[in-house]
Amino acid sequence: MTRELLPVASGRDTTRMLARLFRRRPLAVAMAVLGFLLTGATGIVAPRALGEVVDLVDEGGQTSDLMVPVLAIVAAGVIGALAAAVAVSALAQATIPVLAELRETVLDRALHLDAGRLEEAGSGDVMARVGDDVRTVTDSLDEAVPLVLTSLMAIAFTAGGLFALDWRLGLAGVLAVPGYVTSLRWYLPRSGPIYRAERIAPGERAEALMATLEHAPTIRAFRREQQAVGEVERTSEAARGFAVETFRMLARYGARTNRAECIGVLIILTAGFLLVSGDVVTVGAATAAALYFHRLFNPIGGVLMVFDDVQSSGASLTRLAGVALLPAHDDRSEALPGPARLELRDVGHEWEPGTPVLHGVDLVVEAGERVAIVGASGAGKTTVASIASGITTPTSGRTLLAGRPVDELGTATMRRHVAVVSQEVHVLTGSLRDNLSLAAPEASDEELTQALAVVSAAPWVAALPEGLDTPVGSFGHHLTSAQAQQLALARVVLRDPAVVVLDEATAEAGSAGARELEEAAAAVVRGRTAVVVAHRLTQAQHADRVVVMDHGRIVEQGTHDELVAAGGRYATLWNAWSGA
Amino acid sequence: MTRNRRLVATGTPLIMVWQLCEALVPVMIGVTIDVGIETGRLGPFALACAGIVGVFLCLSYGYRFGALFLRRAEQDESHRLRVEVAEKAVQPVDDSRMAGEWLSLATADADKVSELVYQVAFTAASVTTVLVTAVYLARTDVTLALVVLFGLPVTVAITQLVSPAIARRTDREQAAIARVAGIAGDLIAGLRPLKGIGAETAASRRYREASRAARHSSIVTARSWGYMSGLTTLVSGLFLALVALLAGTRAINGELSLGELVAIVGLTQFLAEPIKLLGDLSAQFAASRASAQRLHGAFTAASHVLDGPERLPDAAPREVRLEAVTAGPLSDIDLTCSPGTLVAVTTDGPASADTIVALLDGTARPDRGTVRLGGIDLQDLARADRREALLVVPHAATPPEGTVRTAIDPDGRLDEAALDAVLTASAAHDVVEAHPDGLDHAVRIGGSSLSGGQRQRLTLARSLAADAPVLVLRDPTTAIDAVTEHQIATGLRTRRDTGRATLVVTSSPTLLAAADTVVWIREGRVVATGTHHDLQDDPAYREDVLR
Repeated sequence: MTRELLPVASGRDTTRMLARLFRRRPLAVAMAVLGFLLTGATGIVAPRALGEVVDLVDEGGQTSDLMVPVLAIVAAGVIGALAAAVAVSALAQATIPVLAELRETVLDRALHLDAGRLEEAGSGDVMARVGDDVRTVTDSLDEAVPLVLTSLMAIAFTAGGLFALDWRLGLAGVLAVPGYVTSLRWYLPRSGPIYRAERIAPGERAEALMATLEHAPTIRAFRREQQAVGEVERTSEAARGFAVETFRMLARYGARTNRAECIGVLIILTAGFLLVSGDVVTVGAATAAALYFHRLFNPIGGVLMVFDDVQSSGASLTRLAGVALLPAHDDRSEALPGPARLELRDVGHEWEPGTPVLHGVDLVVEAGERVAIVGASGAGKTTVASIASGITTPTSGRTLLAGRPVDELGTATMRRHVAVVSQEVHVLTGSLRDNLSLAAPEASDEELTQALAVVSAAPWVAALPEGLDTPVGSFGHHLTSAQAQQLALARVVLRDPAVVVLDEATAEAGSAGARELEEAAAAVVRGRTAVVVAHRLTQAQHADRVVVMDHGRIVEQGTHDELVAAGGRYATLWNAWSGA
Repeated sequence: MTRNRRLVATGTPLIMVWQLCEALVPVMIGVTIDVGIETGRLGPFALACAGIVGVFLCLSYGYRFGALFLRRAEQDESHRLRVEVAEKAVQPVDDSRMAGEWLSLATADADKVSELVYQVAFTAASVTTVLVTAVYLARTDVTLALVVLFGLPVTVAITQLVSPAIARRTDREQAAIARVAGIAGDLIAGLRPLKGIGAETAASRRYREASRAARHSSIVTARSWGYMSGLTTLVSGLFLALVALLAGTRAINGELSLGELVAIVGLTQFLAEPIKLLGDLSAQFAASRASAQRLHGAFTAASHVLDGPERLPDAAPREVRLEAVTAGPLSDIDLTCSPGTLVAVTTDGPASADTIVALLDGTARPDRGTVRLGGIDLQDLARADRREALLVVPHAATPPEGTVRTAIDPDGRLDEAALDAVLTASAAHDVVEAHPDGLDHAVRIGGSSLSGGQRQRLTLARSLAADAPVLVLRDPTTAIDAVTEHQIATGLRTRRDTGRATLVVTSSPTLLAAADTVVWIREGRVVATGTHHDLQDDPAYREDVLR
């Protein structure tokens, strides 16, 4: 369903970007490297020392000789402990700020994406980047990355330790590698598809559950309870199947890893047997070699298990880098060159090539004039609103603001002077103040309260338990759609633009609070150039001019009284509405 | 638990075998060194190697099948719980639980409860392993056994001392990260309105602040994980040194063989795991118990399904009647909607409108007076008959997932002509034409891919397509423009002409004008009944409806 609308960076660009970010934190990076090297090095002391204990026993040494290896274990424990603490902290100090910076840049670029393109492609891909991809990388930074680094160090130093004992023991260790490689090569081609399916299945299950839970009243009204529960059962069953299937695969993978471990132990023991028999190495060395290998079980198993986590977080990184590497936007806006007169000149538009929705629309809104657009669904009202606000570039014709073409004015300037409020309301999770101050970050509480008073929201806001600090949105105080829309209008007041476009901004209110909302909308457009897509005819009644649209054309225009007197299309509507 | 007895009963012993064999690996390495490498005799060496292969076979198969059986038991259980929650949630239950809460009952809590299966099996296996190892150690050397068996829990306990603090920090970190993710999702979800007022830069700054706060708490948490890992390294290193010293001394004195020395050191390192696991399991068990209690609470919550013994006689007229009903804000309301009429109710506020709809859909009962369907008190009427004859469409009704066609006609009962008539009556033709796929255009859950007006028209089409003898609609056209509303008013009159009863609760002048009778309710009482045209003369009426 979702179209990819954002770029994905190449592996090389991603690495280059990460390298640039890490270069700013040289100390933390150096400390982390040093710390992990030390943990690896101290980790092999204990088995080696135990081997020496074995040799002492084998060769009939003194009890006092034991102190050397035992103190070595103690020293390795103390140094290793410090190194581990430093390594993990320094790694966090190096990586977490890089990730934070990355996600901030990604969100910044996503927020500034071209509105027209966003409208076209939907927000699914953007949502996946700022949500899932960031989460994947964060999770792997918390668990997989430290684990992989520690394990790789342990493996490298143990291999070195084996060679230090005797090169033939080292070689025996190397012979154990193919077993693990086979196991990984069995696993990787299988894991990808299964994990993808396993990840999708709970999503579908959650959707079916949400559909049932959120829409329970509708389901009950239309007697669809059985079908809804059946859908939950079907998706849950599928998710269960995938969960068991994934586990079966993991268990088989585990068995293959066990096999590699077994072969490795046997190879090392056999090598030890032969070398001890040939008097090349001591029993202690053979013991140390076996213990070395035994203590690698967990690190190797760990690396093998998170291998695909690391892979997928690499993929997420390239998707994040793709967005982060988009060019930064120009945020500077200019003052309008003159009075805010809005002109649409011979405008035509096609959303889908070959299906025109507007034909030769000429519309001039004088500075400070309030124009209402009336028409049936599909008449092209919303398209006109979108073009008038500069969000959509028409396929033919020109749009001018204050006498200048809108593409010359630039996005930042257009957004500064033209505000759009549509039927789509969104209350941000946060306090009421958070919701308002987005429009004017510097505004004082007094200014916020004044803006609320303009849209007649002051009474109910004053009645809220914590006033402006009341949490609203998903987890906060529930606002009716009329109240939410009042907030949207208050934001426009705070933003104080020269031009306002209201696209059925008062439609969702229902019967409750409709009048307050009408009044709020009227207060917001007062003194500004306004295009109002009218939903209730009272909006048209109070406009300076009414424009009636049908099938992408302007068919009537004039004042309310003129149009009613003319007895055309508008008059018919008005009579039906007023019951005359 | 009992529902999955068979799988659990087979899984648990297999898991025990696996853990014991894991413990045996270092022992077997010791044995091999003892009887093979040290002596240099091939026969015993080969035998010991065969023993190692045997141990690996047992541990590998033990885990593979034991864990698989447990996994299946766990998944079966959580699946069953989930379906049970869904069954409960579609009933009219006490409204105190929100959809989000039901969702977490059906997912997180159901999963947590099912994990009990694992917890029981792994607890049993860990206890057995610790006991068996204890016996082995005690037979080898009592002093060492005592040191190991008391020392290990102490070292595990020391490392666990800091874990509550870490858990708290991790919780805080995860909350901060979740907040950051939440803010990102929230901003993107509201991107179009945000862009409408040019607030992108302010939004970006807000995210940056939250991200910085989360970044700080992530670093603090990671640092404490670092300390934890350092502490573990230190304590286990020191304990290992102690065991090596003791066991080494004994071995030098000839009280232990070489192999036993290796085995004891190996076992000491291994045993830390089941002991730590036992500690973790007790915490998980507490979480599962809490989930089980929440589920129990939901399952036993009262659901008030309105159902009675009386059947609706075939001959009874399909009409609704409110007789002197007093309920909530309403007092002494009389109202009739007979077959072949379109009745509109308009109120001065949403509370009265809500109550009328609730009385009709059976979620509210009158304090006084009676609500009748076909002459029978709704309280006494069989649920199936009531739902068959009366369709009450909630204002917030949403189309189901599927296509435009299934959103209107889920069971595929309508032929093309009937479907066309429904589309005309609900002015939904242009919803179909808006997309090249037409009737087969996909509709997302809750109709989120549609505009408010399109959603309302699809719901209206679905309501008309159901062709219930009595249809009750609440504010069906709030998101629809005046021109289209006019077409819908005409469509509702067509339904009236087929002899059906239709009741519309609305304040839209266009719909009121189309009704045969308007019942005007003000301050909880019926003020007047008549046509929209006649009622217009009253300025108070104009005040209520002409906005």
